[in-house]
Amino acid sequence: MVFKDLFFCLFLSFALVSPAGAAPQQDETGVEKKQKGAEFSLYANENNENCLKCHGRLVYTITDTVSGLTRKDLMAEHTFISPDAFYKSVHWSFNCLDCHGEGFKSFPHPLEVRFETGWSCLDCHGYDPAYAQYKFEEIDIEYQKSIHYTATDGAFTCWQCHDAHYYNPLARGTGDGRENILRSNEMCLHCHGNPEVMGLVTEKELTMVLPRHEWLPNVDRHLAAVRCIDCHTRMTDNVLVAHEVMPADSAVNTCADCHSQNTILMGTLYKYASKESRDQKGFVNGVIFRNDSYVIGANRSKFISMAGLLIIAAVLAFALVHTIFRIIIRPIKKYYE
Amino acid sequence: MSKNFYHYPVWVRIWHMTNAVLCLFLIVTGFSMLYSDPANDLVVGFKRAVSVHNICGILLTVSYTIFLFGNLFTANGRHYLLTLKGLGVRLWQQGYYYVYGYFKGEKAPFPVNSERKFNPLQQISYVGVMYFVLPILFVTGWALMFPEFILKKFLGFSGIFLTDQFHVVLGFLIIIFLFIHLYVSTMGKSPMSNFRSIVTGWHESH
Repeated sequence: MVFKDLFFCLFLSFALVSPAGAAPQQDETGVEKKQKGAEFSLYANENNENCLKCHGRLVYTITDTVSGLTRKDLMAEHTFISPDAFYKSVHWSFNCLDCHGEGFKSFPHPLEVRFETGWSCLDCHGYDPAYAQYKFEEIDIEYQKSIHYTATDGAFTCWQCHDAHYYNPLARGTGDGRENILRSNEMCLHCHGNPEVMGLVTEKELTMVLPRHEWLPNVDRHLAAVRCIDCHTRMTDNVLVAHEVMPADSAVNTCADCHSQNTILMGTLYKYASKESRDQKGFVNGVIFRNDSYVIGANRSKFISMAGLLIIAAVLAFALVHTIFRIIIRPIKKYYE
Repeated sequence: MSKNFYHYPVWVRIWHMTNAVLCLFLIVTGFSMLYSDPANDLVVGFKRAVSVHNICGILLTVSYTIFLFGNLFTANGRHYLLTLKGLGVRLWQQGYYYVYGYFKGEKAPFPVNSERKFNPLQQISYVGVMYFVLPILFVTGWALMFPEFILKKFLGFSGIFLTDQFHVVLGFLIIIFLFIHLYVSTMGKSPMSNFRSIVTGWHESH
């Protein structure tokens, strides 16, 4: 089982670094999008390509301006930025220096810029009517109640899940549902599947994810069909995606919480879709079908239920009438015989 | 003059009793899953319902296999052989008797005798349930227990969705059959005589 877990983590680790494969396209794609974004950027005259010629490549080239020597070197995984993924993110229009300090303009970068703290989501989006619909302030309140915040003394920030370089909204009904679930769970497994990454924010020993979930029947299907946060966060009406991650022993562990007509999935995974369409195709909780999912107990055909119950009622009614006739007519008939 | 026939050998009676008990458990737990609601005390909790449904489904498959072999290798199987010629007329005669002739005091058109255990309506419904509905219920039920073997997509629909819909529809058919079976069983020599028969093995004729 440990091997299975390890394989799962390796697979996801590969998935996380895989955008590197798109690096050769970065010049063409990047420059084109950069020009579109220039009008929004504070540093419109700067050029992200200065940064991306090193940080946008897994293998970069440096030149000693004195001796003229050049050499190739590997970019550290955590400082690599996939240009392709960056220019597809919601922050694609920004220049690197919109967020990173002026110190990064010089190379080699001075030591002090390595202590730069990343902006939180609230720093840009908080208390701004333009972003009111996303309720960043409410998200922050939930986050501060979450185990991620309380157990790490605040070392856990927005960035641990939401890398602003690649951020795209998953929960708003766009794209393939199953793909979105995978992407969402990757966020969790980025730490919970990597002891080294998790070690950046906590001393707590990493527990293997799969063995903790083996109580679920068909565990692989469960983990592919729902997001970790659907069971591990406190459900809320305040925000679209709940951010109050609960301690593991408070997670959903009752089948009927999902497998029932009042499934919590309608308030979590399918919250956005269910707001758009409460009912689809004559099925209870029909929006669940969007993800090619079918949840026994939560989904049922209204037509089949109605037809089945009506036929059963008709059979019972017929039996009742037949019985009454048997009680009344047969004795009368026999009496006259 | 009434005559009794020994129509239900011990293995048939044990199988029938097992079948009845398992079907009742399956219906109750199946309904509990379909109409799962933690707030409703009338339905069994989902987790327990799934476990009991799975166990009873497995046991019913075993019991059905025994029935199938019993029908193949004993005389009981001949009662399940349909004669298609004139079937429509025989079904009509039996139906007419149930809704009209019975009340007029007419004789049953196909009374139970040493060679005939079922009237035409019973025979066609038992053949339909035992040889068509139950096997498909088993296939779909086992598939839902091992969903990794179900086609991901079929005709544009989710494979699990279609499998479950089939399972639910056939489950409803079994419930409908059960009610009819129970009611028709009260139409023996006395309302309880047929129930006694399936316990003692002896059919009490009119």
